[in-house]
Amino acid sequence: MMGGPACIVIDTAKRPFDNYEPLLDALLAELTCLETRYSRFRTDSLISTINRRAGSGIQTEIDTEMSTLLNFAGELWAASDGLFDITSGVLRKAWDFQRGGNASPTQLAECLPKVGWDLVEYKNDAIYLPLQGMQIDLGGIVKEYAADCVAASIREAGITSALIELAGDVVVIGGQGNGKPWQIGIRDPDSSGSLLTVSLQDAAVATSGNYARTIKHNGRALSHFLNPRTGWPVNGPITVSVLDQRCLTAGAIATVACLKTDSHAQAWLEEAGLPWLMMKSCGTLIDTLTNPVSQRESLTSLQTLQLSH
Amino acid sequence: MFTRARRPLPETLERLVVAVAVTEPRNRALHPRSRLMRRLGNALAVLPAYQTIPAHADAPPAFTEVGLRYSRYSEDSLGADKWIFGSRGRYDIDITQFWIEGPIGANWSVALDIQNDYQTGASPWFVGTQQNGEPGVIMSGASIEDNRLEVGVTTRYFWADGNAGFTASHSDEDDYAATALAMDASWNTDDDSRTWSASLSSSEDTLTPTQGAIPVFVEREELDTQSAYFGVSQILSRTAITKVGLSYTYSEGYLSDPYKLLDARPETHERVALSLGYRQFFIAPDASLQIDYRYYGDSWGTDSHTVELGWAQNLSSHLITPYLRYYSQRQADFYTVIADTNARYYADDYRLSSFGALTIGARWAVALGDQWTLQLEAERYETDASWSLYSGAEAPALVNFWRGTVSLTWRYD
Repeated sequence: MMGGPACIVIDTAKRPFDNYEPLLDALLAELTCLETRYSRFRTDSLISTINRRAGSGIQTEIDTEMSTLLNFAGELWAASDGLFDITSGVLRKAWDFQRGGNASPTQLAECLPKVGWDLVEYKNDAIYLPLQGMQIDLGGIVKEYAADCVAASIREAGITSALIELAGDVVVIGGQGNGKPWQIGIRDPDSSGSLLTVSLQDAAVATSGNYARTIKHNGRALSHFLNPRTGWPVNGPITVSVLDQRCLTAGAIATVACLKTDSHAQAWLEEAGLPWLMMKSCGTLIDTLTNPVSQRESLTSLQTLQLSH
Repeated sequence: MFTRARRPLPETLERLVVAVAVTEPRNRALHPRSRLMRRLGNALAVLPAYQTIPAHADAPPAFTEVGLRYSRYSEDSLGADKWIFGSRGRYDIDITQFWIEGPIGANWSVALDIQNDYQTGASPWFVGTQQNGEPGVIMSGASIEDNRLEVGVTTRYFWADGNAGFTASHSDEDDYAATALAMDASWNTDDDSRTWSASLSSSEDTLTPTQGAIPVFVEREELDTQSAYFGVSQILSRTAITKVGLSYTYSEGYLSDPYKLLDARPETHERVALSLGYRQFFIAPDASLQIDYRYYGDSWGTDSHTVELGWAQNLSSHLITPYLRYYSQRQADFYTVIADTNARYYADDYRLSSFGALTIGARWAVALGDQWTLQLEAERYETDASWSLYSGAEAPALVNFWRGTVSLTWRYD
């Protein structure tokens, strides 16, 4: 689901729960519904409808959920000085990610004018992309939002101890049934192991990264994160993990960090004030997670953390 | 010119303060830690998925808040048909409040509250009989002027599942001094869907009434009050929350009003109050329905019911909340329209009579940038004995009033 495996663990040690089937059916329906609405890969999705109507003069009506996600994307666009831009997906056309080739300058020149959230004609109940070929892509936030929705539904079912993993992002509800925090490993991009393990209670950890640096330019490996202003890959952190109460905001902060250079990414993470871990482009690991004092100040719901490697 | 003893504000005004406390809990734990996260979080608040995020560990506020509030309470003049002698103009009260609250270290917060009440006008002295045989009010005169200053300090400790506070306050005016201590605590259940809260408070008051234009027969009296509260709030769903509270208050000492001629009340006063609140958020209109009920009963035979309905409508950065409140009271056992001084206890104070009251008002709050919030509120209160659910002759001094408030709050990280 949502571009990766989904895993849900419900711990019934503290509070019994045996109504699994209706719950799983409801969760599956919820995820399917989100995918149907927001996937750019499905031609019948709301996103595809909006994109198809680009430049046609026809606006698309949207509901509160969609407009809220667009508002959130707009806030993130403004806060990141335009680096996080849901209209930047069109730039992918100019790069051959599969074969690691360079961009076609002609295609880049064609795509760049179609990028810019500020170009979008957007009201709370309708959206219209004014240029033919423009497109929006909520892929940068929908997976994390889906994890939050699943967590909310599980909470509403009365479950007080659960773990949800959706394509690499994790939300935990309460602690484990034995009262101890959940132990969540943050994946090491260079191995199958984890960079470190965090102990979480009622929190989410989202990771964004450039694990596969397939584009080579002047001998350097470049990321698949593209700067919407230049169309060029960003030479930023290899991976960033952020912890917050919501997976969506954690993921958004991590994604924007990956769109910045190492030093700007660190400043951004510090501005957000959430616990974070970053592997810089040179491979050096820096974080606030292994410092109990700064971690405590930044998110008191999280417990102490231990290095696992 | 003379000053008067501190009197309790009209029952409705006291209750209003309680209602505000119930409807606007300070949910410290959900306040994001940085301006950036607040901005992003605010954009998401409307989504149901983010309305059951638990309160998590309690934490001190991540910011310092400074606020200033001014209220004007203005009573209508007494009607000519209810008046016998003295000024027909009644009370005006100017209430100015200042507060500052901020975190101290990782687990503590400290708050300072200062309130100044400046009161002018006249109040009923006693009820007599007019020439037409109807009861009428003899007023105290128009020259009452009084200033009350109250200062309170609260320290609060936060731990993983709750917080506890300790408050010390002192209030002073020419003829009345009060010192109060209070402790409160709240703690969350494992799934954070329920919050229990409790508080205990104690106050010692000293009255030294001022001899002025009307005779006062009291030189110095004391009053001790203890109070306990227990409450629980429960998240019912993504969009609904309810709150139940029970309080008990016991006072012993001088409970009569020294500035009323015919006022002899029992030396003890027990009060219980049950409050129920319900909030239902509606996603499509981005608004919430607010329903509150309060039952009050006391050892003087008074009891009352209050129902309030409000609709809090979000409009961009504005929050507009019109509300309607109905109040009905049963008179005290020793209340009579004209005081019966042959009885052991007697009073002609309109606040102890049977009456009903309607309040209509609206609050308007607007966020001015990230750090400032402006709030305006206005309400009209009207009362009539025939609106009560209970029988009882109408007190001629029943009062109608206007109340307006403006407040400005500043938060900084």
